[in-house]
Amino acid sequence: MSLTGKRILVAKPGLDGHDVGAKVIALALRDAGAEVIYTGLRKTPDYIARVAIEEDVDAVGLSILSGSHLELVRETQRFLREFKGENIKIFVGGTIPKEDNEALREAGASGIFNASQRIDEVLAEIDTLLSAPA
Amino acid sequence: MLDPAARRELARLITRLANAGTQEVLAEPPPAITKPARRIGFTGPPGAGKSTLVGRYVERRASAGCTVAVLGIDPASPYSGGAILGDRVRMDDAAGNPRVFMRSVSSRDAFDGLCNNVADILLALDARGFDEIVMETVGVGQAEHAVKALVDTVVLLMQPETGDGIQALKAGILEVADVIVISKSDMPGAARMRENVAGTVRFGARRSAGWDVPVIGVSSEAGTGFEELEAALAKHAAWAGAHRDAGETQAMRTRYRLQDLLIRRLETVLDELAAAEVNAASPAALYDRVVSLLGR
Amino acid sequence: MNKPQNIELNDPGQPSDVTPSGIVVPEVATPDMMDPAKIGEPGKYPFTRGIFENGYRGRLWTFRQYSGFGSAEETNQRYKFLIGQGQTGLSVALDLPTQCGYDPIDPMAVAEVGKVGVSLSHLADAETLFDGLDLAKLSTSFTINGTAAMVYALYLAVADKRGIPRAKLTGTIQNDILKEYVARGTWIFPVRPSMRLIADSILYSNEQTPRFNPISIAGAHVRDAGATAVEEIAFTLVNAFAYVDDLVRRGGDPNSFAKRLSFFFYVHMDFFEEICRFRAARRIWARTLKERYGVTDEKAQMFRFGVVCGGASLTAQQPYNNIVRVGIVNMAAVLGGAQSIFTAAYDEAFQIPTETSAEIALRTQQIVAYESGVARTVDPLGGSYFVEWMTDKIEEEIEKVIKEIDDYGGAIHAIEDGYLQMRIARRAYEKKLDIDRGARVVVGENYFRHAEDRTDIGEVFKVDPGIAGKVRERYQQLMDTRDDSKAQASLAKLREAALDENENIMPWLVDCCHAYATVGEMVTTLKREWGEFQEPVRL
Repeated sequence: MSLTGKRILVAKPGLDGHDVGAKVIALALRDAGAEVIYTGLRKTPDYIARVAIEEDVDAVGLSILSGSHLELVRETQRFLREFKGENIKIFVGGTIPKEDNEALREAGASGIFNASQRIDEVLAEIDTLLSAPA
Repeated sequence: MLDPAARRELARLITRLANAGTQEVLAEPPPAITKPARRIGFTGPPGAGKSTLVGRYVERRASAGCTVAVLGIDPASPYSGGAILGDRVRMDDAAGNPRVFMRSVSSRDAFDGLCNNVADILLALDARGFDEIVMETVGVGQAEHAVKALVDTVVLLMQPETGDGIQALKAGILEVADVIVISKSDMPGAARMRENVAGTVRFGARRSAGWDVPVIGVSSEAGTGFEELEAALAKHAAWAGAHRDAGETQAMRTRYRLQDLLIRRLETVLDELAAAEVNAASPAALYDRVVSLLGR
Repeated sequence: MNKPQNIELNDPGQPSDVTPSGIVVPEVATPDMMDPAKIGEPGKYPFTRGIFENGYRGRLWTFRQYSGFGSAEETNQRYKFLIGQGQTGLSVALDLPTQCGYDPIDPMAVAEVGKVGVSLSHLADAETLFDGLDLAKLSTSFTINGTAAMVYALYLAVADKRGIPRAKLTGTIQNDILKEYVARGTWIFPVRPSMRLIADSILYSNEQTPRFNPISIAGAHVRDAGATAVEEIAFTLVNAFAYVDDLVRRGGDPNSFAKRLSFFFYVHMDFFEEICRFRAARRIWARTLKERYGVTDEKAQMFRFGVVCGGASLTAQQPYNNIVRVGIVNMAAVLGGAQSIFTAAYDEAFQIPTETSAEIALRTQQIVAYESGVARTVDPLGGSYFVEWMTDKIEEEIEKVIKEIDDYGGAIHAIEDGYLQMRIARRAYEKKLDIDRGARVVVGENYFRHAEDRTDIGEVFKVDPGIAGKVRERYQQLMDTRDDSKAQASLAKLREAALDENENIMPWLVDCCHAYATVGEMVTTLKREWGEFQEPVRL
């Protein structure tokens, strides 16, 4: 497994304070060779998009457990476009009902993950998505 | 202030530079610098509160109307080569400021704990006309000396209650500091540490250079000591302007850049030598062989 | 890039001899492995066998179910339904804006109003929420921390307005800020002013609402985040001692305030580890209060706790298995001597519970209480060679972790520094890797999976998307109708109280509530004086 040289922003948008999932994925990405920037809690989509641009990341991983995933993904995507970061991919992890997957993809999420997926599966999928042409 | 497109472009340039091999970076067109930024390096051991302090400092500068670029360098995991560049979270207030550009890079396999082509990255920032460039590094071994070569003022952070002072003396890193900050100065033991360090510095070797290294207590939590820090930095800038030879500074930076390139080139060459060949030859023969390979 | 191996895990082999906390258990326990002198009697120091002489015979545990969503009106309806179903305590879940101190119109709140609980920002909301419910008879438990003092003040204001004597109020506010910094994330102020707010509310509650529990020191979130059963107790106890230290420093008498301290944990699947750690925790708590703080009143040495059965031990795959899990865990909680039990709904791992799943959860408790017979005899496992050995062993392990944190510089330093947070993140990562490679069995998740197993349940409870609009409308209405000068005056007084460390801030908060100042306004006022917590991130 190698994500060497990839830069990924792991972010917690909204008010939900359960950050262990975000931290676990950050550690897993690091151990797969990626350079990970973690935002900490309670960040707005605007802020997350700004950081994503300055850090020139390949992807933004949003961890959301509050049920507000649709709004937050849409907003993050909107700001990424506004700041000329349309080629930055968005991944979402957390408690995401399956029925929201399609809407989330339409809102701009390339990958949707949940806590019961194996980490190596998640990393492999991220690798595939980041290897694909933008 | 940079517009979104310019930010994006600068961010991508930094990525390209950080990834560039020696030949690629030499092929980059030299950046046009009209007004070099004032460069300040903050260094110190992990846990000394560097990021929080830098965040506060940068926020203050930006509020005062300065444009500031921040380059944070974090170490890579020796196992995976990956890295957590997590300290950004501590610079939150500054990060939201439109006058601030903030970027973290991993030290990856850089020989001195900074990052590959760091000199070129700093020049790229210089070319964007920032008033100040703040470089934040974890102080380990050679990093301080490298920082010294690259910035105008080195601020060394130490935390009370940790024995940092003794470590710093042992490692001789007090030698590189232009300004020393005792961070978390509201913690017990801070005042005593400040005195100890100030005492050591007073009788240190640097005194001969004509600059009295100030030792300042700063608390990011309480927001105290920042005015003193800013005053010390301004004073050092004035001193450096009057006492340092610009040509010598320029040469020191160019030498550092060359050293970075040559060390990487040397590493490539050494990697090319097969174990059998290394074991069979004398050190003198190997030396000549490596030099000829370098010249190839 | 290596493709992930497609491991089909169907044979876990023989049961492991190591518990999830890393305790190696004997194949068979023998009489020489226990020390009868350590056990004591039920209801007597050191309370290994429980805090009541007659166990559950005198009083069963409180059946508590978590609820609250959307608007105050809707939640009020749900409460009335649950009480009709035989529930004896109310549990109030609040939405994230309320928990983090943002009013529903705040830009930070936008996406989250009414989502994971009810929106409660001012007295009019609180009056609606408790409309028609007899506060003098009901025990109300609020899952609230960062804004616990404000929510408690709202509750007092409702009682005041209805003429219910404060002394009659019973219930609990979680009010445990330290674990928010560690695992749950609804912190607002820096650690030290937060500690003041906690001490103020506890001291005030002891005096004004003597039957109310002003804090429930919680390990639950730390546990769900990844801490082991042993760490959960240890982290919670070090936090508890930090509160006790602070209360003592503020002039509180531990013989008195300790009677109102209670605890809150998750119970997961390892049956005996769970039972024994509660027995061990009672002993450590009683001993520390007696020896370190000089507490002589036995009631103040008692370790009272509530639990949630389920949490991270529930799986999104094959969710019906969770009904069985909750049943087993519920038994462990009873055998461990819990005073209050919440049973999770089987679908909790992936959605807000439906009415059906919430009912099954409550029925589980009723079956354990009234059919299984486990509550008949006090501490029926007491004296078992294995249970007593395990209790001793876990006690030792908990004390080891407590010492590590003390050596680091104590709970507060370890939290400000991000050390505890880092420990938990790393533990969670290890645990996840263990499950992935099959070193730890989770039926239906890593072993015995169906080919296409995900959340295969259709019943999804939906929060009405119009709720947020309604909440904001109500808020606006209040803003238009309240006496603004009165509200502003109350906030100005709050600010003065915040600046004076010797002042108890609670009466000023209650005044703010009576003046229809909002939770967001109170928080903003205090933030201006105290600042906000800066999150240390170490991984």
